[in-house]
Formats: sequence, C-alpha cells, structure tokens
Amino acid sequence: MPSGRYLWHRNVLYIGLAAILVAFGIVIMLLPYDTVYVQERAYLQFFLVSIIICVWVFVIGSVYNALIWMHGRGLTGSPEGRLLRTTGKAFRFVFSKRFWKVLSVFLSEAFYLSKLKDRSYTRWLMHILILGGFALMFLLDIIVTISMDLLQYEPMIEESGWAKMWIRDFAFDFAGLMMLLGLCIAAIRRFVQRPKIIRTELPDAVSIIFLLVVVLGGFLLEGIGIAGSIPDHEINHEYSFVGYVFSLPFPASSGDFYDQAWLLHGIASALLIAYIPFSKLFHMIATPIVIEAERLLPAEVSS
Amino acid sequence: MKKLDISKLDVLSLVRYDACTRCGECTATCPTGGEAQDVEAVTPRGKILRLKGYYRAQYGLRARLLGPRDISKEELHDFASRAYECTVCGQCKTVCPAHLDTIKMWENMREFLVANELGPLSAHADIVKSIVNYDNPWMQPKAQRSRWAKRIEKEVKVKDSLKERAEVLFFVGCTAAYDPNIRAMATDTARVLSSAKVDFGTLGNEEGCCGSTLLRTGLLDPARKTAERNIEMFEKASPSTILASCAGCFKTIRQDYPKIGKVSADVVHITDFVCDLVDSGKLKLDRRVEGAVTFHDPCHLGRHNNLYEEPRKILQSIPGLKVVEMERTREESRCCGAGGGVKTAFPDLASKIAAMRIDDAEKTGADILATSCPFCYQSLKAAIEAKRSRLRMVDLMELVRLSCAGQ
Repeated sequence: MPSGRYLWHRNVLYIGLAAILVAFGIVIMLLPYDTVYVQERAYLQFFLVSIIICVWVFVIGSVYNALIWMHGRGLTGSPEGRLLRTTGKAFRFVFSKRFWKVLSVFLSEAFYLSKLKDRSYTRWLMHILILGGFALMFLLDIIVTISMDLLQYEPMIEESGWAKMWIRDFAFDFAGLMMLLGLCIAAIRRFVQRPKIIRTELPDAVSIIFLLVVVLGGFLLEGIGIAGSIPDHEINHEYSFVGYVFSLPFPASSGDFYDQAWLLHGIASALLIAYIPFSKLFHMIATPIVIEAERLLPAEVSS
Repeated sequence: MKKLDISKLDVLSLVRYDACTRCGECTATCPTGGEAQDVEAVTPRGKILRLKGYYRAQYGLRARLLGPRDISKEELHDFASRAYECTVCGQCKTVCPAHLDTIKMWENMREFLVANELGPLSAHADIVKSIVNYDNPWMQPKAQRSRWAKRIEKEVKVKDSLKERAEVLFFVGCTAAYDPNIRAMATDTARVLSSAKVDFGTLGNEEGCCGSTLLRTGLLDPARKTAERNIEMFEKASPSTILASCAGCFKTIRQDYPKIGKVSADVVHITDFVCDLVDSGKLKLDRRVEGAVTFHDPCHLGRHNNLYEEPRKILQSIPGLKVVEMERTREESRCCGAGGGVKTAFPDLASKIAAMRIDDAEKTGADILATSCPFCYQSLKAAIEAKRSRLRMVDLMELVRLSCAGQ
C-alpha cells in the first residue's frame, strides 16, 4: 500500500487533475452557445458531452505518457512526485528570464522546423502546412469562442460583421486549406510516391486519414451550410472561398442534413483530440519538449 | 513473466522515444541498418519503435488496464543483437528533424540492455574480460604498455608524468600503445610534440584503458571503475592539459569522465592541439609532402565533438599536399564501421561499411586517406588491403611528423 509522501504525491496529482477536468467540463456545459446554429439542441448537448469526454481522454492519456517518462533514470521519488516536481520546474524555467530564449527556440525549431527545411523543402512544406493550419485553427477556435460566447462581440456574430467575414469565414477556410494541402502532400508521398524511407503501418495511415476526415468534413459541412442557406452561411460567400467551392455540388435540400453533418464533424474532431496521446501525433507534444531540453538544458542535466 | 526494467533509461530518452515522428530520415543514411544491410530493425527508427512497443506493452495504459504483455526471450535477444549492430556513429543525430540526440539514446539503450541482462553480446565478452583483467582490450600485459616509447627514447624525451610534472599529459590509448601496426601513431605524436618543444609526459605503464569500449557497450559499472582509476592518476600527475590522440579516448575523457569525477586539466584532442601549435608558429610545417589527401572524419571527433576544421587546417598547412574532400564529409561523413563494438561482434558488417568509405575516398582521386583515430585507421586500412585500393592509409600525425622533421 502506498503511504507517506508517495501517497501524498498521488493524491495531489490525481485529485488535482480530476478537479481540473471536472472544472473544464462544467465550463464547457455552462457556456451559452447562443451563436451555434444547430436546430436540434440535443445535437449540441451530445457534442458537448463528446468533446468533454475526449478532452478528458486526451489529458489522461498525455499524463499517463508523461508518467511513463517519469519511470526513467535521473529523478528520484515516485513517478507522480517526479511529474509534479518536473512540471513545476519546467514552468519556473519557461516563465523566467529565459522566456524569450525558450520562445525563440520553440518558434524557430519546433514550429518553423528550420532543420527540416534545410534537409527537405517538400517535407518541410508539408509539415508546416499541417502544423501551421492546425495551430491557426486552434487559435481561431479560442478567439471565436471567447468573442462570441463570452463577450457577445457583435462584429463576430453578425453575418456582415468584419470579424465574422475575416475570422470565422476567411481565416478558418485559410487554416483548413493549409491543412488540406499539407495532408494531400503527405498522402501522395505516403500512398503514391512511397519513397524508401517511408514505413506505412496502421498508426501512420490512421493519423493521416483521421486528419483528412476532420478537415474535409469541415469543408463539406460549410459547403452544405452554404448550399442550404443555413443561418450564418447566407451571404458573403467569397470569404468562405473553400467552403463555397465545396457547396457547388450540393443541392439546397442538403441543408436539411446540416445538423447531422455538424454533429459528425464535431465528434470526428473530438475523437481526433482523444486519439493524440495514443498515436504518433503525440510527437506534437513530445518533440517540442525534447527540442527545448536539448537546446536549453545544461549538458549534464540533459544526459 | 519478466518485466523490463526501464529505470535505466533516462527520463529524457523516454521523452525522445515519443518525440520520434517515424519520418525515416535516419534510415537512408544509417550505415548499418540502411546502407550496408537495409534492415529496418537495425535503423534508428526500427530500434525506437521496437523498444517503445516493448515498454508500452508493459507500462502503457493498456497494460495498466488489461495487464502487461509478455515479451519472449528470443524476441528480446534479437532486439538486443540488432541494437548492437549500431556503430553509434551519430549520423542519425545529424539528420533527425526532431533534433533527437540519438547518440545519447543508443548509449543509454545499451545501459538498459545490460541492466536487463540482454547485453553486451557474447562476442564482446573477451574484450570486456581483457579490459577488466589487463586494463586494455588487447589482452596484453600492462608492463608492455609504454614499450612504444623505447623506439624513440634516444631522440624524444617522454617524461613519466607520475614522477616528474609535465605541462601536457599525453594519453596514448590502448590501441596505439599495443597494436604494432598502429604504434607509429604514438611515436609520431611524441615526435611532433617534441619538435614543438612541448613539455609532455605519459602515465607510462600506469595508464589504463579509458573505458570507452565498456561505455559504448553499456557496461557502466566497470567503466566507472576504470575511469575513477584514470582520474586519480590525472589528478596525481596534475598536468594543465590532457592530450588524447585517440578520438575514442578523447570523447570518453572529455564527455564521460566529468560525470564520474573531477578532471582538473583541459582535455584536448591532438588535432586541436597541433592546430594551435601551427597557428601560433610553435610548430613549423615546412617540408613538402607530396600527394592528394582526403580526410576521414572519425565519428567520435566530428559528430560527437564537433572537431571538423582543425584537421583540415593542419593538412592545408602542409606544403605540397592537395586536400580534397569526399562527397560525404564533416557532419555527413560516413562511418568507418568499427565503432560501438560492431567490429568485435559483427566483423563482416564492419568491413562492408569500411569498404563503402574506401569507395568514397577513391572517388576523390586522392592517393592518401588520412584520419585521426586508431579504430578508423585499423578498419579503413584493412578495407584498403581487402579492396587492393591504391590509397595509402595514414594517421594525420604521420603527415605532420614528415612535414616538421628536422625542426
């Protein structure tokens, strides 16, 4: 039976984590979502429950992965205690006078991938399009959620508002297009060109297909919305330049299935988040940590 | 069921396993897994995915929920054997877009294998026994260690640093001290130092194996003992500089010893030291040495220690020599195939890789292949002979000695 400090660390980690996850769930359920245009509120509720569960799975999976790291040599105490200490130290390290150095290493090497650019321009382009699109969409999601549901910012809500046109329509389509182009390059490389260095196993194929389903699903959803003149998709289609192209093959009656398409896209996106810690996509968390550690920690610590 | 002990893997190494993007950039240029054999299991990606699969099967979330999976002994031994086919050359570190320090990963992986009784391989046993019993990997008596110096005792004064303090302590290394074909590396180095009037000495017969072979095969405990003994000697001799002519000894003393004990002196490789002597005018390279030379970067000197320019500067300072570069040079240099215990356990594989390096050198049109590591020298020389190449294998100090003779 665990006892003493070991038990204390376990309690702090697991109870603290549970509290954060429950708080996240409550916040998600309490947001008003006045501006979500699904007619069936049950669909919205179902999506919210799905996203909460999937984010929980993501967090628990990521923490579990980090706990496996903590079994390694170089630290003392229980894995939970090590994780708490390491997290605390990492925060103090990042938010110190070294912040700008940490940020510049992150931007130039983890995000911009300067080393990959020097070695293979095509692979760099592929990766920067996927990662850049993903990051931009994540950022836009936060901006839109805060400005619409919390601040009720009119230009973001009104159909002809500048923020609605430029951020919700144009920027989202731009980010999605980036990801789509990057994923197309990845798919062509992996499934058509098949250079010798590529090894395609189930996790590799699933990651690309999963991302493609989410991105294409988003554009199809927008296309259905535009074709069916669903509220929020009625005017200024030139800003939704990719969604508009996807709307062309759809009849106006496709709008009848908008809610179902919305739910499917939402659940696919939520599942993608849950899948990250159990897939090769987890490198999006582990690789920046390694890059920062290799570049910034003293040699004796990193070895 | 035997559960793998992952407590010997470094925390950061475990993060590195998750940071691998499976891109395969490392597989194309890996000398053992990619170029020489084309076996995925030997490539960096192959090793990473395999080991990660094993420990995840025993420590992952699924293992926690459904119980850990047993991994058969045969599978684990096969994995270990494949892992030891790596020369730890570090080419994968150079190309990895995720910036993984694969050199640290492979060295740490071998410590993990030893801790789990999967390593080193039986082929390494004799070498390990020899280091433990004779303090050198060549099963030679300790009393013969300083015999190389007898050849030049009339022309060069080599101090016994344990009896008489010398500014510079020349750490000869086992291969140059014992292998009759390499011994000239030690005598040439001593002659060059003497020409530049460097106050130097050696530990004589008290010099022990640096422990590089033990460390590279994952045997941390005996390596620690060897290192502690040498560090004690270093501190007793109290030089201001420790000079290594072997790239493997240099890496070990410079990078690994400080983790074990305090080394007060600066640790310098002979190429760096001689480059400074030439730059400062203390060593004049005025005799012509005719020929076209290409330099093979030893992995322990180049990718492991970032010493690329110094040997080239020295070669360019020698009148008459034309320096030509191989297509794969500096960070991208192909390995000689001898490192990481590969020559001992997989001699055919090592020869195959060395032959590829000789092809690289031949393509330059050079008639001299120079290097600055006794292992690379041995390996490449054997490949030159096997291929009946017209290349002449030399140690860099031989060229320096020829150019400064008579000073």
